[in-house]
Amino acid sequence: MSSTFYLIGIGLFIGVAAWFLFIWAVKSGQFDDPEAPKYRMLDDEDVPSKTATSSVKKRP
Amino acid sequence: MSGIEKSSPEKVRCDHCLQECNQTSAITALIDGIKKSFCCQGCLGVYELIHSNSLDAFYNQRCDWQPGPPEIEVKLQTSSFSDTVTITGKEQRIELLLSGIRCASCIWLIEKFLMKIDGVVSIRVNYATHKASITWCGEKVSLDTLLHAIRSIGYLPHPCHGNETTELFTREKRDLLLRAGTAGFFSMQLMLFTIALYAGFFEGIEARYRLTFQLISWVLATPVLFYSGFPFFASALCSLRRSTLNMDVLVALGSLSAYCYSIAMIFYGGEIFFDTASMIITFILLGRYLEAGSRLKAGNSIAELMELQPHDALLISEVGAAVMVPVAAVQIGQMIEIIPGDRIPLDGRVVDGEAEVNEAMLTGESNPVQKKTGSDVFAGSFSMNGRLRIQVSGNAGNTLLARIIRTVEDAQARKAPIQGIADKTAGYFVPATIILALATFLYWKLTSASTVIALMNAVSVLVIACPCALGLATPLAILVATTTAGKRGILVKGGDIFESVSKTTTVVLDKTGTITTGKPSMTDLYDYRVSPSFMQYIASLEAASEHSTGRTIRDAWQGKLLKTERFKTTPGKGVSGWIEGTLWRAGSKAFMDEENVIIESEPCAHTAALEAEGKTVVMVACGNKLAGVVGMIDDLRSDTLPFIAGLRKKGFALKMLTGDNHGVATYIAARCGITDVQAGLGPLEKAAVIRSLKEKGECVMMVGDGINDAPALTEADIGVTLGNASGIALESASVAILNDDLELINTLITSSSQCFNIIRQNLVWAFSYNLIALPLAVSGVLHPIISALLMVSSSLVVVSNSLRLKNI
Repeated sequence: MSSTFYLIGIGLFIGVAAWFLFIWAVKSGQFDDPEAPKYRMLDDEDVPSKTATSSVKKRP
Repeated sequence: MSGIEKSSPEKVRCDHCLQECNQTSAITALIDGIKKSFCCQGCLGVYELIHSNSLDAFYNQRCDWQPGPPEIEVKLQTSSFSDTVTITGKEQRIELLLSGIRCASCIWLIEKFLMKIDGVVSIRVNYATHKASITWCGEKVSLDTLLHAIRSIGYLPHPCHGNETTELFTREKRDLLLRAGTAGFFSMQLMLFTIALYAGFFEGIEARYRLTFQLISWVLATPVLFYSGFPFFASALCSLRRSTLNMDVLVALGSLSAYCYSIAMIFYGGEIFFDTASMIITFILLGRYLEAGSRLKAGNSIAELMELQPHDALLISEVGAAVMVPVAAVQIGQMIEIIPGDRIPLDGRVVDGEAEVNEAMLTGESNPVQKKTGSDVFAGSFSMNGRLRIQVSGNAGNTLLARIIRTVEDAQARKAPIQGIADKTAGYFVPATIILALATFLYWKLTSASTVIALMNAVSVLVIACPCALGLATPLAILVATTTAGKRGILVKGGDIFESVSKTTTVVLDKTGTITTGKPSMTDLYDYRVSPSFMQYIASLEAASEHSTGRTIRDAWQGKLLKTERFKTTPGKGVSGWIEGTLWRAGSKAFMDEENVIIESEPCAHTAALEAEGKTVVMVACGNKLAGVVGMIDDLRSDTLPFIAGLRKKGFALKMLTGDNHGVATYIAARCGITDVQAGLGPLEKAAVIRSLKEKGECVMMVGDGINDAPALTEADIGVTLGNASGIALESASVAILNDDLELINTLITSSSQCFNIIRQNLVWAFSYNLIALPLAVSGVLHPIISALLMVSSSLVVVSNSLRLKNI
């Protein structure tokens, strides 16, 4: 019968662990902008420096 | 340096900034044995610096560089930067706004140059925003050194202040998410045990399990109530102190009484209702979080406008020196200077200089506007080339940009009137519920039953009355409708707009740009053979014209243009000019009559025929003889006819307003089947027409473009702008259609009436639920468990009903 209590304990532990994970995620800003990440990979921010380095190689 | 034209003998191009200068005044220097010329000492300095750091690749690969000297002469005030530095351990970080960035290679140069400085950990410059974020080691290098290093290669750093409103919004949203999430997590855990207890209630449960589950439930419900529910209690307390009762009082009262009652029941051996207590809070918090998300999204349009406001201005003191000061410190009447590429910090009038200014974010006009001495400039627009010296006409809080931001903000804070009704009802509802609960308790206490049963019935009343569904009914429907509309490119400025749209009786349409394309095209040409190559002459004449008819004629001619001398415009009538020694004139018939041009019967007939078709007629005269007649028309948009048919089907009265002449207006109106037309109206007259319609009791929707129709759009109950999300459009209109698609207006009308219907259904449901369940709770028929289940299902009905709006 005591196995039920163990299971309850494990269940609560996992629940609380997930809650802590959630708190960490919110505090570290994971939820601040749910929109941008999918566009960020298309961001051209890096391109100028890359073209710059490549042109240096081409024309030393 | 490919792509650069060869300089004429007496002119040389500066090797750094590519600006042309006289050979005599140019500074020449031998760098690595090669002779280089520079326009000024500054350019020479920058070139030497870049060369000595072996970053010459910058000169080889830069493209689209607009010639212009670097901004080294501007005084740099390093003190104003220190408060924007964030320090973490040994590392320091700063966000800077850089001016003087002309091409993508500048980014490369700045990043490479700064990385060479010992102590810089990382630097990243964003080309789109011209913002740099630099991390450096405070012990090895000072901020001053970095700022001067940036300036030494010709870029000017500005302190970059965070946008306080957005930051506040984000913090608020994060806090709300933490509370709602916590409530969600614990409520889910709680529900597991509660369901076991429910089952135990019907099927029987061993006493030790029952007690354990009840105690665990208590532990789980506590953070939901006192952490997640804290805002409700705070707001309830606040409203009690001001003795105005709001919804939060009811939420706090309902959940708190259920919570206290459950604790008592653990010890008395009764049923517990921790789930009711925490579910109320979880549901309402979730609703608020979703609402905050949509508010944040709407707030982004404000944030975008606020980004336009520079924080510093280059003040010209009486002695003529330029000093960087915060915009708030600039007084009306003082002089400020605008460097090419910089945003104008304050409204004012140009006193010196000439420049093309881009006002796209304010007016939606994508072509830059020429500004010279005497023209007004507005904060937020930016000078594309020349230097301007302007006299400030309004302080920082009173610029056109600030006013636009304020109107948009006000619009967003606006509550839907129907939501106001729910809040007002709460004022009566709360005391009524409390009295009812008290009465229930007293009744059961006095008529035989025990205190426990009396208390249980009283709590039932409070729990039932808890306005979960009532609180969610309006905001959720509006939230769903706004997001759905936004995804389709309909920007709705406030929740109450859906309500006004659904009440609309008359739709007023502007002609130009709304019913028609807004761009005339040339359709007819009668050449009376007075001069050969008639088109070439008239296109050359109109080339200097700013008027749209002139531009149409010029665009219709692809060949070479001739030189026009002594060009003259008679506003609203026509233009004249001398080409190859002959006087050419083009304009309306009235213009020709005024100028005594002989018009024979044939052109008269042609003109009359063209005008009957609603075409704009331009007569062209060579000398004193009429050389030709040109007909052009601003035709219907392709989506006009289905759009008007859609409006008519919905039973709206239609009206067309236009500034054009009567003939064109009637012709266009007849083509799209509108009978009510008023022509020849100015912007203010259009607004007056709308006012008189409103006085007759009509609810008016005005569709037009944001700039010329601004007064009419503001006057109307709902102003809709098409294909324009500029500041002025946002200020004057309540709805902005971003995609330039008329059909979306029909979509807006449909979704508004649906939204309004759903709100009504939600409210009727929430009220009737209370109306039926409350008497049952008072009479003690309803067991609290069943009332709690009823309450949750009532909320679910409202939520899923609101979500139906997604499918419109």
